[in-house]
Amino acid sequence: MINTLAQIDYVASAGGTPWHRASALSKLVFASGFILLAVFAPSLALLTWLYGAAWLLALTGRLPWRLTVAASAYPLIFTLLFVLARWDGTLETPARLLLRPLTASLAAVWLVGTTPYPDLFAPLSRVLPRSVGDGLFLTYRALFELMGRTAGLLRALRLRGGAGGPVRRRLTLAGEGLATMVLYGFERSQRLYATMLLRGHSGRICGCRHFAEWGPADLLVAAAALVVTTGAVLLWGVP
Amino acid sequence: MTHLHIPDGVLPVLVWAPGLAVALLLLLLSARAARGATRQHVAYQGALGALVLAVMAVEVPLGPLEYHLTLMGPVGVLLGPAGAFQVAFVASAILALVGHGGLTVVGLNAVVLGAGSALARPVYVLLVERLGPPAAMACGTALAQAVSGVLWLAVVAVGMHASTAGAHRLGLFAAFAFPLWLVGIVIESLVAFGIAGFIARVRPDLLPGRTGAAGEPS
Repeated sequence: MINTLAQIDYVASAGGTPWHRASALSKLVFASGFILLAVFAPSLALLTWLYGAAWLLALTGRLPWRLTVAASAYPLIFTLLFVLARWDGTLETPARLLLRPLTASLAAVWLVGTTPYPDLFAPLSRVLPRSVGDGLFLTYRALFELMGRTAGLLRALRLRGGAGGPVRRRLTLAGEGLATMVLYGFERSQRLYATMLLRGHSGRICGCRHFAEWGPADLLVAAAALVVTTGAVLLWGVP
Repeated sequence: MTHLHIPDGVLPVLVWAPGLAVALLLLLLSARAARGATRQHVAYQGALGALVLAVMAVEVPLGPLEYHLTLMGPVGVLLGPAGAFQVAFVASAILALVGHGGLTVVGLNAVVLGAGSALARPVYVLLVERLGPPAAMACGTALAQAVSGVLWLAVVAVGMHASTAGAHRLGLFAAFAFPLWLVGIVIESLVAFGIAGFIARVRPDLLPGRTGAAGEPS
């Protein structure tokens, strides 16, 4: 999961397609509408159309296909539970149940794969309470560092015999190891706070301001929205 | 089990929309409660949120299955109900952005994770003088995990019941999920026991007492 996140983060910052150049706000609005459409789509034809459109978005965003498959297929595990529970002998019901989350997930992956996280979180942080908005930035910023440390910690535990013995001992030792990460998190927060003060922190992390700067690439997002909406209108009533 | 996040489109809108509304209301309340929080505390909250996401990638082998830790119990004890709920929301939102759980059900996922976590500190404070920090944190975590598990199962049950699924299928599902739920409680509690034992020796001021923990709003 974390590796997927790291790769998506890299692709979002390093990509050079028109989708990457479009403003975060236009992509956020488009992706939100797309996901809601997938969730409420009544017909299988519309869902198939949306799923195809989501793949087209991902491929034209030059997202690595393996990464896209891995990230977008995660909902399968959970959805299969519902497919089994709602099995009615037809193919339409499972197809609908599978296509909805897969389409929504693919649209979300396209959004984060083409938008660097400061641009993506900036509009969200403006509508969320301050501590939550700041939490988004600070959590994401700390994530990759802590992820590396956690992996190193677990490797050290294995090498030093922490992975052997009774389950109770192993889990308690793992807990003690993770406690060092809690302490590290606390000390890191002190350093980060001092750095923020030194850099003239105004009391709120707002992210960069160009998340809503429109450019020619936003026309592409508008065109995509138009095509998807037209398809939805035409296919809404088709079974 | 509680962080096997629910994707978009499998639950009816009558389930996820109220979940989103409740989560937003709880977020506002938690932000109000955390008004006096220092910037350092917000940064600490961010670090613990990142730790929650990092440990979710850790696999604890359970025979043919793998268990992924959440640490929401210890986070609940260390940050208190308001901070823990915010961490649950932020973690669910970041996971949803990479397709791990739906964007429309971020609220529901956050409520499932955060509700249990919010109970961890009251249980810890109640028991710490009698049992000591490790056992008290283990008990708080056990309750957090139990509550989150029950809520998760309730959400799934409602989602299944909203369709044509019969009680028979739901019963089968519950029979499969119940042992996993129990195992999850044991694993998270033992890990929490280790966490509290270490922190109590090295930085006891980070553990809450009657006056809260270090760096918290007074």
